[in-house]
Order: sequence, then C-alpha cells, then structure tokens
Amino acid sequence: MIEIKGVKKQFQNETVIEYKDMVFEDGKSYMLLGASGCGKSTLLNIIAGILSPTKGNVVIDGENMQEKSQPQRDKLRIKQIGYIFQDFKLINEMSVIDNINILRLEGINTKDAPELLNKLGILEKKKSKIKHLSGGQKQRVAIARALVKKPQIILADEPTGNLNFTIGEQVIKELVDVSRGKTLIAVTHDDRLAKYFDCVVDMNEMTSGMQDLVREGGLSND
Amino acid sequence: MIKFALKNMAVKKVQCILIVVSIVISTSIAVLAYNVSSQVSDGITSNAGYYSVIIGPAGSKTQLAMNTMYFSDEPLGTIPYSVAMNLMQDGTRVNTVIPFAMADNYNGSKVVGTTSLYLKDKSIQCGEMMNDSSTMQAVVGYNVAKNNGLSIGDIIYTSHSATSLDTHKKGITVCGILNQSYSSFDNVVFTQVRTLWEMHEHEDEEEGNSHEATVCAVIVNTKNPAYAMQIVNEYNGKSFTDAHGDAYSTQAIEPMDAIREVLNDTDDTKYIVFVLCGIILLMNIIVISIITLLNMYHSSKEISLMRLIGISMKKINLLYLIQNGIIGIVSIVLAFGVSRLCMGMMNDYVSSMGVVLNMGKVYSSEIFILFAVFLISVIPTLIWTLVMSKRDAMEG
Repeated sequence: MIEIKGVKKQFQNETVIEYKDMVFEDGKSYMLLGASGCGKSTLLNIIAGILSPTKGNVVIDGENMQEKSQPQRDKLRIKQIGYIFQDFKLINEMSVIDNINILRLEGINTKDAPELLNKLGILEKKKSKIKHLSGGQKQRVAIARALVKKPQIILADEPTGNLNFTIGEQVIKELVDVSRGKTLIAVTHDDRLAKYFDCVVDMNEMTSGMQDLVREGGLSND
Repeated sequence: MIKFALKNMAVKKVQCILIVVSIVISTSIAVLAYNVSSQVSDGITSNAGYYSVIIGPAGSKTQLAMNTMYFSDEPLGTIPYSVAMNLMQDGTRVNTVIPFAMADNYNGSKVVGTTSLYLKDKSIQCGEMMNDSSTMQAVVGYNVAKNNGLSIGDIIYTSHSATSLDTHKKGITVCGILNQSYSSFDNVVFTQVRTLWEMHEHEDEEEGNSHEATVCAVIVNTKNPAYAMQIVNEYNGKSFTDAHGDAYSTQAIEPMDAIREVLNDTDDTKYIVFVLCGIILLMNIIVISIITLLNMYHSSKEISLMRLIGISMKKINLLYLIQNGIIGIVSIVLAFGVSRLCMGMMNDYVSSMGVVLNMGKVYSSEIFILFAVFLISVIPTLIWTLVMSKRDAMEG
C-alpha cells in the first residue's frame, strides 16, 4: 500500500505542487489523469524516490520513504518498483536484452526477460539495438525492463505519450495484463484509456478528497 | 559487472580505441625516452672503471677510450707492440697488460685482436676461451653467433672492412661463443692479436722483428693509482722512432677521465631527456584527463539513466572504474610493448655507440610512469562519478 501524506513539492523555479492525501491499494491499477503541469509525473517520481518532497511523507508498506537515505531509496526502487519512463530511458546503442540485463548490476535476476519479451511481442527484436526500434517497440522494452524484476509496484509515466492511439491502447492493454496482481499507477492525459484501469484519479482536482476523485471502474470514454 | 563493462565498451569501441591509441603513443614515447637514455648512460659507465691506463696513438683521448672499450669509432692509428712488451716486464707497477688491435670485419662485426685477459670478466656460453699461445681462434659475441648462425668449430673468413668483398684467405676457427652481456661485446669477434698479424702477413716480422708488429692500443692495469699516473706521465706525448725509422707519437689516458668527459655530455642529454619525459608526462596527464572527462561527460546521460532505474552510484562508479581501468591496463601494456618494439628497432643505431639495449631491462621509473598513466586514466572517472552522485539524477 502506498500512502501520500501531506506531500508538497517546491521546485527551484518556485513552482509549488501540493497533493491531497492519497492511498493506492495493493493489487489495483490506477490511472492518474490530468492536464500537463498538474503534478502527475512529479508524484510518480516522489513515490519512486527519485525526487524528495519538500514537505510530507510517502509511506510504502508502512515504511516512511523520507526516513530513508538516497541509496536506500535507490535500493527500494530497483527491488520493488518498476518504473516505465515517458521517454523510455533506454540506452540507444545497446541491444534490447542488454538494456534489460543492465539490472543484473544490482543483482536482479533477468532470466524471465525472453518470456516477457515474447508476451509483449518483441522477442525477435531482443538482439536489436534500441535505436533501430519503433516508438511502440521501445515502449514494450521499457515495460519489459520494469516488469522483469517482478516488482510489487509499477509506475508508468505517459506510457502511451509517444504512440498513436491504436498502438497506445494495445500497449496499455498489455501493461495492465502483465501487471495483474500488482499495484499499477499510470499517468496519462488520454481519458479514453481509463476503462482498462481499476481506478481513475483526476489530478486536476487534487485539493479535493481522495474518495471523491476515485471512481471505481474508471471513467467513461465520452 | 566486468561482462557488462566490456559490452558497454564494445558499444563505444571507436571512442575506446582512440583513447587507447592516444595513451599508448604518449606513454610509449615517455617510457622509451627514459629507458634508452638510461641504458645508454649505464652502458657507457659500466666499462669505464675496468682499466687503469690506455696507451695509444696521439689524438683524441675520447676516441681512444671509446674505441678501446666500446669498439665504437675507428682506431686513431697504431703504436708498436714493443710498448706492451716493455710494460709486461714492469712487474713492479703493472698487474696486467692487454694488447688491443682492431683491424678486420666479419659480416659487419668488428674483429678485435687481443688476449684472453681482455675477456676475463665475460662468460662463455659454449666452447672455450681462445688460447693466447695459439692463433687463428676466435671467441665470438652472442649476437655475432646468433645473427650468423655460428657454432663451435665453424671457420669464419674476415675482410678488411664491412664493405669489402675481398676476404682473407686464412680462416679463423670459432672456439667459443660469449654469453649475452647486452653490451657492445655481443657484436664483436675476438681473436688473438697474433692472428691479426698473421692475417696481415706480419707473422714473419713478429717472429724476428717484434718492433714491426703494431697494435691500436695497450690496456694496462696497475697495482695502484699512483703507478697509473706515473705511466700516464711517461707515455703521454711521448715520441719515438723504431728500428725501421717509423715515427710514433703516443698518448696515455686514464679511461675514467676520458669517459667523464663523455658522461658530462650524456648527462646533459639525459637531463634533457628527463625534462622531455616530464613534459610528455604532463601532456599525458592533461590529454588523458581531458579525454577521460569528455568520455565521462558523454556518459552523463547514461549514468543518469542508470540512476533513474535504480542502479546505485556505488555500482555505477565501479562499472566506469572497471571500464576505464581496462582501458588503462590495455594502454600501459601496449605502451610497454611498443616501447620495447621501438628499442629493438633502435638497437642497430645505439650499438654503434657501444651500447646494446636490453629489451628486458625495466627501470623502476618506467613502472612509475606506467602506474601514473593508469592512475590518470581512472582518477577523472572517480571525480566525475563523484560530481554526478552529488547531482539530481533527473538532471542528466
């Protein structure tokens, strides 16, 4: 379970984002919906321990992340959190499989990578360099890298941001499918994809109460 | 970790090769310059203390010393063998008297006529030392035997000069081969001085009229330094005419004095080489540091990416240390190999100065240079990763 408690983030340009308290339950998929700049990605980065909140706490499974050092947060991220970045964060000059095997540096077992790549339909590309892949294929590699370590929490920042709707929808379906049983928090501005998630959080209304923002079953597409 | 480091290097192979090439070039020059200058200087000094006095024809004392001890340059001329004979009878002041004559050539190697005393500090690899009471025997230097495929019992035919095709009719039998000494002795053929006289048809004169026989120099070891000074005074600037009316003028030198003059020059050269080595090393530090820092700068995005997916800075540090360490080790090994290869190519040139470069000779300063280069190739990595660890991962 992930608890967001009184989190406030102030950036160097003095932009301030204040989050209402939120709770993300284990095993559910959440879609964070909202306009650009409302703080969706920032929240994911705070949960992942990449950014530290200026104020407030993020508690994951009872452990207060703000009481941990940066190396401890890095360790938690590599062990328990699968993060799918908007711009993939893949090494272009390296092959698909090497981009996944990079996790071995931290002792992560990546032997399931071929199976995962197969499930995502890109197994035949495993030796191809990232720079030779399409946007959709890169997104699938990023998903495979995030999931190969069998994380309990999956964070996806605009996983369809670089894709057209058809491919994006396919990627979301696959992401939700392979993330079943885990906590999935995906950021997107495309509400047509909401139907694939258990819960939808409207980040534009962060000042409202959490229960008001979440509608079981997702938003309608119209 | 090492496997991943190698893969990461393979991805940037052009960049890695360029770094290795630049390090190899600059480092091998520094190591080569240091080693050659040191070996040349050491080679010249190693023989200087062996002899008390050298008596030879009047002229350059450096030329006399260099020719007699290192076989470099041409002999100044000749003096009568009677000078040696007179000194041999001076048992009060003199321990040993060694005649020295340089006349012929064998396939580019100089032929020296002397006695076994001249080679008393040299060890024989195979065969035996020449018999001073006999003639037509030769003890050949290690390189002469190796380059000409000589073995004991072989007969060699000498000529008047390296360019002459006209060899003497009489052959000399190889009776011994010297061990490798990494000195000019490796490149010389030694025979009895009488052999040279026989070859030049002096044998009749030697038997009946010893004053006709000549040598290029007479090397004397005295019982104490005072006697050496006395002999120098006696023979220096001495002029005389033999029974046949041939006029001679001699000089006598203490080899250390003559060598000291040469060493003053070589010490200056060595000093210049050391300064150049220092400049090259300084350039090494600057160039390698800049290259490594540029390399790390280009890797900033990659480092940030790894940090974002949760790879710890400790592991990232280690990864880049391994990468740059491998580059450093490969570079210094290649630089060492290249420096030795260049030494092999330079050997022909420096052997004319009486020094044979030993490719196996490694000075502690060379190890220091190589170690410094290795450190230079990894320290910027540590600095850069330290800088990166202070930055926010999102900055990359």
